[in-house]
Amino acid sequence: MFVMTASAMGARASNTARRASTVLVTLLGLLALTFIIGRVMPLDPVLAVVGPDADSSTYDQVYRAMGLDKPIWTQFGLYLNDLLHGNFGNALLTGHPVLDDIRRVFPATIELATLAILFGVLIGLPLGVCAASNQGRLGDHVARVITLFGYSTPIFWLGMMGLLVFYAWLGWAGGAGRIDLAYDGMVPEVTGLLLIDSSLAGDWEAFASALRHIVLPALILGLNSVAYISRMTRSFMLEQLSQEYIITARVKGLSRRQVVWGHAFRNILVQLLTVVALAYGSLLEGAVLIETVFAWPGFGQYLTSSLMLGDMNAVMGCVLVIGLIFVALNLISDALYKVFDPRTR
Amino acid sequence: MTTAFTKLHAGLLAAILALVPMTQASAKTPADQLIVGMSMVNLFSIDPANAPGLDASGVNANLYDTLVKRDQGNPEQHLPQLAERWTISDDGKQITFHLRQDVKFHSGNPLTAEDVAWSLYRVMKLNFGLATTWKAYGYNVDNIQSLIRASDAHTLVIDLPQTMDPLLLIDSLAISPSAVVIDRKTALAHEKNNDLGANWLVTNEAGSGPFVLSKWTANDSLLLTRFDGYWGGAAKLKRVVVRHMTESQSLRLMLERGDLDLAYGMAAPDIRAIDGSEKIHVQSLPRGTMYYVALSMKQPEFANPKVREAVRNLIDYKGLDEQVMPYYGQLNQQPMQLSLAARLPDPGYRMDVAKAKKLLAEAGYPDGFSTTIRTLSEPPFIDIAARLQATLAEGGIKASIVNGTGNQVYGAMRARNFDIIVARGAERYPHPYFSLRTFAYNPNNSDDAGLPNFQGWRASFFSPQLNSLIDQAGVERDAGQRLNLYHQAQNIYDEQVGPIMMISQMTDTVVSAADVKGFAGDDAEATRYLGVYKQR
Repeated sequence: MFVMTASAMGARASNTARRASTVLVTLLGLLALTFIIGRVMPLDPVLAVVGPDADSSTYDQVYRAMGLDKPIWTQFGLYLNDLLHGNFGNALLTGHPVLDDIRRVFPATIELATLAILFGVLIGLPLGVCAASNQGRLGDHVARVITLFGYSTPIFWLGMMGLLVFYAWLGWAGGAGRIDLAYDGMVPEVTGLLLIDSSLAGDWEAFASALRHIVLPALILGLNSVAYISRMTRSFMLEQLSQEYIITARVKGLSRRQVVWGHAFRNILVQLLTVVALAYGSLLEGAVLIETVFAWPGFGQYLTSSLMLGDMNAVMGCVLVIGLIFVALNLISDALYKVFDPRTR
Repeated sequence: MTTAFTKLHAGLLAAILALVPMTQASAKTPADQLIVGMSMVNLFSIDPANAPGLDASGVNANLYDTLVKRDQGNPEQHLPQLAERWTISDDGKQITFHLRQDVKFHSGNPLTAEDVAWSLYRVMKLNFGLATTWKAYGYNVDNIQSLIRASDAHTLVIDLPQTMDPLLLIDSLAISPSAVVIDRKTALAHEKNNDLGANWLVTNEAGSGPFVLSKWTANDSLLLTRFDGYWGGAAKLKRVVVRHMTESQSLRLMLERGDLDLAYGMAAPDIRAIDGSEKIHVQSLPRGTMYYVALSMKQPEFANPKVREAVRNLIDYKGLDEQVMPYYGQLNQQPMQLSLAARLPDPGYRMDVAKAKKLLAEAGYPDGFSTTIRTLSEPPFIDIAARLQATLAEGGIKASIVNGTGNQVYGAMRARNFDIIVARGAERYPHPYFSLRTFAYNPNNSDDAGLPNFQGWRASFFSPQLNSLIDQAGVERDAGQRLNLYHQAQNIYDEQVGPIMMISQMTDTVVSAADVKGFAGDDAEATRYLGVYKQR
């Protein structure tokens, strides 16, 4: 019995070590690739600092100060060394440590992406199930139109139209930004998530303002997730609904609802976890267009501005965070697999 | 517990009720605050020694003061600011400024001549792009402390290191973004590794201007609060709030809804759509920067003056001005800004395909040739380039467009690695001497000279005759003779077919709510909010 436990523990430790090393190698590869791309990109971070009309002596001075005169692998080594000491460097754009910047902009994106994915799941899942259980009938066609709309309509255009109709014409939604300017800086920052911080402060006017501002961009951002999640759900469900155990269940006299939700849907939960996790990850790193239209000071805008400047410290920091997000989401979905699928325990 | 739940319930209810439609579009911004929407992408340093961008100049104009300012845009007439009066020695080699004695920085420290001298020394010591202005006068980090010095707490003495018209230096003190005065004690209190406070001043200020920087979050928002102790009288507005907005249509919608008072950087179609509305005021602020088509004379085709003249005849000046440039710029064909007395009238260049073909044939290119046009991938640059591509094709020149970011385009130009570039730039401050120096001056045409601060060098344009005339104008103290030299230089640039062909002078279109009053541009491209107010 003792030997068995030790062996199991050893296997678990080795599994964890293998997984940790895979994560480390992935992140290192990601950083090396980004670093090289950053250096071969025809962007000149020195010009961003000195301006296009600076003379050569100024340019050379800043070039050296930024360490660009060193060989690329030396630069990468120095960067990694700083990283190991918890120093991500300073961002050109803000002059602040990159980590502070990411800490500042990330909550805005988390708040937006979380609401968007909630919308995606709450609408997308039932829509997909409805489409599959009504294959070829009206429900399926309606779902197809909705998903086609979600997939094919440019999010940028939807954002502008949403602002025009719900903000400018109807006045239902807030305009650009996370909150009305009157409340800007008035909510004590605890989590950086304005809806939560304003609730904690009991400032319900600020909460309402933040809610008015976030609902529209979150719905539009979530529309693409609705399309993706519903199509995947439909596909998984169709596969399950054609299985023999479903026919058996029907023959046994179970209702259609019990068969669809109690049997088929339960069996696709595990696959759906991966789909939702990946969709959430994409929302966290890819909300840049909607952030631009709604002047949302989030992660996507920060990354794009840094890229345009050739600000490699900021870009590398962001890439590392994106890598970590996907690693974390994968780990979480793996852990949840074990909860929902006994065979993986 | 029950009470907490009741409160939560009531709060949520109130929040939901607040979501009920509000459809009125009347002005909602507070009467004593100005809410501004603009892109802050290029605002990443407000350190006066290293803030070359227009946006940073706009912010710093409200945080800092200069010694003098231009009078009605005239680069040869100046008005007192921090300096109450000044005298120029008879030989023109020394200027003495007498400073106001009632000026305090935001910190409460009194502003002294030592602060002024130290601020200029700091620019040279840090040696960022803006130091170029002072290097042109012969200052360097070794001589500036002895040449610009405080003779007492409120007297500043400036010696010119080389023979120059002292009015040029006074004008630079009025308009250069690096000429503002920093609170030395405050900056040095934040010094790290002998950086003269550079790291701190990137995101903080130590000025004496009419507003204090209360908050700045990059690419999010910026908050300026009125400085009640301002020597020139407190501003009318209590706060100026700037929100980072890059999308022109969002700016337009927010202006129309009354959630914004003022917007910078809107796209021409959006401005056109609301221009004429009673609720909106559209204002064009002339800027010194020029839109141009530059040819590299390193390319054998463009080294030939006949080919350059052919290209000049293939630019559709009129079409560009009427169809592409509204809200972006105003027709200008001279290498000198429209407002200047020294500027000659436009030479009247116009598109003439037959003449261009004849010139190309004479130059040995009867069938034209292939080339590339580099430009920025945004309006109006890309539109100018597309039109130029079409009109060049009419003359037989096949041009492909390579577009990119400003960094990529100007980087290629600085490296003298281009054929044709459609860009904007050079001297921001209208001044005949600096305009000519920027576009037509090139003291050394070798690649090794590394003079990218001269656009003439970038385009490999080398004219000893023009160099000499511009040098003479820089030292000439007789106004009539100086004017004559400027006229001669423009005529020669025309005759020699200068490779940097001006097409338009930039205008910045600012759109504001109709109740915003007192907003006006100035020569330093830096509008102060000091006199702005709302008429409600």
